[in-house]
Amino acid sequence: MKKLLVLVAAMVLVFTLSACNDTADENTLPDPNEGATSFEIALVTDIGTIDDGSFNQGAWEGLVEYAVEHQFTHKYYQPIEKSTNDYVDAIELAIDNGARTVVCPGYLFENAVWLVQGDYPEVNFIILDGSPHNVITWDDASTADVDETVTIADGAMDFTVEDNVQPIFYTEHESAFLAGYAVVQDGFTELGFIGGIAVPAVVKFGYGFVQGADQAAQDMGLADDAISINFWYSNVFWETSEVQSTAAAWYTGGTEIIFAAAGGAGASVMTAASQEDGLMVGVDVDQSDVSETIITSAKKELAISVYDTLVEIYGGTGVLGVTAVFDVTNDGVGLPQDFSRFDTFDQAAYDIIFDKLVDGDIIVDGDNTQSLATIIAKYDKVEVSDEN
Amino acid sequence: MNKLFKKIIGFPQSESGESFLSSFSAILFGVAFGFILMLIFNPSEAFEGIGIILTGGFEAGRSSLGTVLVNSAPIIITGLSVGFAFKTGLFNIGATGQLTVGAFAAIFVGVNWTFLPGNLHWIVAVLAAILAGAIWGIIPGLLKAFLNVHEVVATIMLNYIAMYLVVLGVKETVFNSLRSESLSVHPNAAIPTFGLDKIFPDSSITGGLILAFIAVIIIYIILKKTTFGYQLKAVGFNRYAAQYAGINEKMNIVYSMAIAGALSGLAGAVVFLTQSGIHITTTYILLPQGFDGIAVALLGLSTPIGVLFAGIFFGYIKVGGFFLQRLAFEKEIISVIIASIIYFSALSAIFKKYVRKVFATKKNSDGGDE
Amino acid sequence: MEYVIEMLNITKDFPGIRANDNVTLQLKKGEIHALLGENGAGKSTLMSILFGLYQPTSGTIKVRGEEVVVRNPNDANEMQIGMVHQHFKLVHNFTVAENIILGKEDTNRGFLNMDDAIKKITALSERYNFNIDANALISDISVGMQQRVEILKMLYRDAEIMIFDEPTAVLTPQEISELMKIMKHLTEEGKSIILITHKLKEIKAVSNRCSVLRKGKYIGTVDVGKTSIEQMAEMMVGRKVLFEVEKGASKIGESILSVKNLNMTNKVGKEVLRDVSFEVKAGEILCIAGIEGNGQTQLIEAITGLNSHFSGNVFIREDEITHKSIRNKTLTGIGHIPEDRHKHGLVLDYNLGENMILQSYFDNEFQNYGFLDFEAISKHTNDLIERFDIRIGRGERTSARSMSGGNQQKAIVAREFDRNPDLMIAVQPTRGLDVGAIEYIHKQLVRLRDENKAVLLVSLELDEVLSVSDRILVMYEGELVANVYPKDVTENDLGLYMSGSKRGAV
Repeated sequence: MKKLLVLVAAMVLVFTLSACNDTADENTLPDPNEGATSFEIALVTDIGTIDDGSFNQGAWEGLVEYAVEHQFTHKYYQPIEKSTNDYVDAIELAIDNGARTVVCPGYLFENAVWLVQGDYPEVNFIILDGSPHNVITWDDASTADVDETVTIADGAMDFTVEDNVQPIFYTEHESAFLAGYAVVQDGFTELGFIGGIAVPAVVKFGYGFVQGADQAAQDMGLADDAISINFWYSNVFWETSEVQSTAAAWYTGGTEIIFAAAGGAGASVMTAASQEDGLMVGVDVDQSDVSETIITSAKKELAISVYDTLVEIYGGTGVLGVTAVFDVTNDGVGLPQDFSRFDTFDQAAYDIIFDKLVDGDIIVDGDNTQSLATIIAKYDKVEVSDEN
Repeated sequence: MNKLFKKIIGFPQSESGESFLSSFSAILFGVAFGFILMLIFNPSEAFEGIGIILTGGFEAGRSSLGTVLVNSAPIIITGLSVGFAFKTGLFNIGATGQLTVGAFAAIFVGVNWTFLPGNLHWIVAVLAAILAGAIWGIIPGLLKAFLNVHEVVATIMLNYIAMYLVVLGVKETVFNSLRSESLSVHPNAAIPTFGLDKIFPDSSITGGLILAFIAVIIIYIILKKTTFGYQLKAVGFNRYAAQYAGINEKMNIVYSMAIAGALSGLAGAVVFLTQSGIHITTTYILLPQGFDGIAVALLGLSTPIGVLFAGIFFGYIKVGGFFLQRLAFEKEIISVIIASIIYFSALSAIFKKYVRKVFATKKNSDGGDE
Repeated sequence: MEYVIEMLNITKDFPGIRANDNVTLQLKKGEIHALLGENGAGKSTLMSILFGLYQPTSGTIKVRGEEVVVRNPNDANEMQIGMVHQHFKLVHNFTVAENIILGKEDTNRGFLNMDDAIKKITALSERYNFNIDANALISDISVGMQQRVEILKMLYRDAEIMIFDEPTAVLTPQEISELMKIMKHLTEEGKSIILITHKLKEIKAVSNRCSVLRKGKYIGTVDVGKTSIEQMAEMMVGRKVLFEVEKGASKIGESILSVKNLNMTNKVGKEVLRDVSFEVKAGEILCIAGIEGNGQTQLIEAITGLNSHFSGNVFIREDEITHKSIRNKTLTGIGHIPEDRHKHGLVLDYNLGENMILQSYFDNEFQNYGFLDFEAISKHTNDLIERFDIRIGRGERTSARSMSGGNQQKAIVAREFDRNPDLMIAVQPTRGLDVGAIEYIHKQLVRLRDENKAVLLVSLELDEVLSVSDRILVMYEGELVANVYPKDVTENDLGLYMSGSKRGAV
């Protein structure tokens, strides 16, 4: 037993030492957390862990970059369980422990931030992809018929955003526009879009993708309906065999590349893609590491948005209390800088179209309330077949 | 006076004293191990850290004590489930699956059966959870009794089946698509606080704790005082002797698993019939309360009273771990420390042997030539 | 003559009890020295001290004249002391040779040197006429053969001093006489043997001297040749012992149990019961004799309901009970002292009180609306403790596990007798018990029969068969091969029936 303990202790030591070395190599700046007992900038994780490859990780990376650069102490906290009350407890622990800024990555924090924002006026909150509102009590949400989309626009709802809160949203349609533009420029003509549940963000991804493809076809001087897009909302955010078989059928039917903006359902598309030698466009973060089939990703720049918001908070220039939108003008959305999986589309071509978006030469229609039929009628170069 | 003194001196040798001391030394060992880990990872704050872990339950006064009890209630019940099955000779690894189906049943009733008035709503939701858990326990019970399928294998399989079925069921019936999780239950379906929120303000405490206490008392009575418990324990201790005595050991295995499952199902209701904003998510993860129940049962040596205290201890340590985040410890390291304390504590059965040795008594030598 | 082992004035205290009190044991080279004592007399403690499992509180141990300290069994091995335990320590799916070399493997660059080991084992086996196949699997050979493997294990390790712990408890009469030959042969080769037993006949037959312990105290050492069995028994028990079972003529009444055409096939398709039919009448002790494994166990399982895979019919009086539940059979008036008291007879983790209600906890006497009546249980248990002379320290709260074998058996007897059943089935009720306990149980069986109840006794011990029973049925390979009266047969006749060499009318 003693031997085992020594062994375990030794192994643990080796791992921590090597871990320390890693961080030391990466940063030439001193670690601001050295010897700290209170922590200025905090992040509370949601149901995922800090290395979830998504919101938690992205936000934390931006936070760490800013904190190290400007020598702020920083720390992340994990709630005991995954309930709103536990989120509140974790936020309060962070504040108690010296936090002046708390980053809350994801819409799961909407209720929690709404609850605490008034109690801590001196603390700044950053919430990603969400805006604070009160708890959806049972009476406000329609639950009797689950097929009906839950509506939260109700008199009882309170969407108060205090001056110390910065909600952040992203222009998904611009990100998707760039992805659609890039794949058509690269020579693909048979495209597909698989969304998850038709929530606003997903709809925007889909409409932006169609517009990007249309714009590329115009720029290349292609005939009307030269590009075809299969367009489908799977109504799920998780892996299902239905998504996989649909994607597989599309691939065998000639579809060359599918943009999957469907959360976990993307994995089903990925499986189909690797089985049928198809290609994919990833979503939210750079997913190129996940699968060879992903040639680019329609990204939301989580790290940049957190970094920039921290700059505004500590630089004193930002106006909190107003929803911030991250778009092409502040590098809030875009494609990854690696274009090696394209045949012809490259950095130069990307920069040109990106600048056009920034300059307002091209405006992507981000109105998610219009119907798909309206979109189909608007853009002539693409032939969208509504698979819903 | 003399009598009292004798009682105190004799305590380490009595059955319950032995159990208490062995559990206590297991906890000491676990905490010592956790402390060693802290010394390795963050020596300068190790002393402060162990202090926070040990006083964590009082860190924010009554509110954090409330949080301790919120976290304790379900694992006391799953601990009872595992411990009860163990007393009857069965190893119920399936607490998490039974808890999951119970949770789903509770949420389903809590969301959909709004025609139930007032208190009846939560009571029916709790009963639905108990029933669902019992069914999920009966399955491995039947397999064990009549087909001799080992309950460990059956319950592990059923954990996964429960997990996938419940995610499917949530999506099909009580789904909040905006948040990709189950809908909130109707306020009437939340277990009332019975005034506990006055004692522990600012915590998510519900009457789940009361239900846990009631479960402890019922199981204690069944095991200690009834012919039913007598039969169950006889089957658990010696299946052959039970058979010889004309006890239907097959049906007793089924009963035992049904009760164990019902308890875990109740734990599911206790976790999710609340307005604290906790929901079943659609990720494929086995709920931890079921597995914590195994550790609780081990630390509590499978007795209802032991399980009660072990469950509170684990809740306490978890909250201590939460507050340990005050210091510069990485969250992952904290998880390792807390898990070490919990799982070393669960070794209390091993310590029983040493406690016996130290306080060796007359009865050990009764055996003579045997 | 020199002493190879001397244990001088050994005292061993456990908290609250003195297990050995100034005990002296001197083993001469080349002798068989019996260590006699009832269960709980301190024999095992003494041997555990010799093996280094316990350290004596006081006293000295000398091996070949030199004072030694035995710290653990490895020390004992080095001093060439070996032991055959009552319960063999063999790996069942290993071969004989693998078991023998286990822990003392010869290797050649990490590979087992089996060939040499098998040669050595075969040579030893031939030298002592063991007639053992070194390549046979333990699970395939008889209990007697397994015991020889244990002896070979000691010989393989060059043991000079051998301890046999109750070696005959598991053997048939024929195997016992062969074991005795082996033991004598071993002493002729210069080995010295300590024989732990409470069977006086065997001591008389094979040993040279005998040391007697009673309740931890050393009573004395006698020369077996000059001491009668009665004298040794008195030393052991502390009073005169009756060897003959006192009983008058039986008054046979109506038929209580009748068994008709029982047939049973076991899991591997072997017929274990063949057309067994018999009756037990009120006022009669009917004994089923036979060598172990000839279907007695299965017969009792069929009658009591522990096994229901059989054909045929079982009646209590006129009522057919063939396929009634065990509980129902019990309530019809069957008492059952099972063959294996640890497996079937007791729940060892229950205390004595809980064990005393094992067959009647559901009775209104002990429960109200499903709640146990602990007061009644306590009263009942204390009553039985007194009436059946169960000797334990902590009353009804004594854990069954901590009781001695004799007291455990007495507890079962008390429980079953107290229910006052019309038919008492007693399977090897005296197995492993000392003289005092055996005498007691025999008395109880006779008392029951005198109360005009029926007793079905299954026994492997010929002494018991002949002295207790009113009528004897002999079983051989699942069949009844003889129906005789004890006054008409000799031990030799029974042996012939039991081994299948002779058949009589049934």
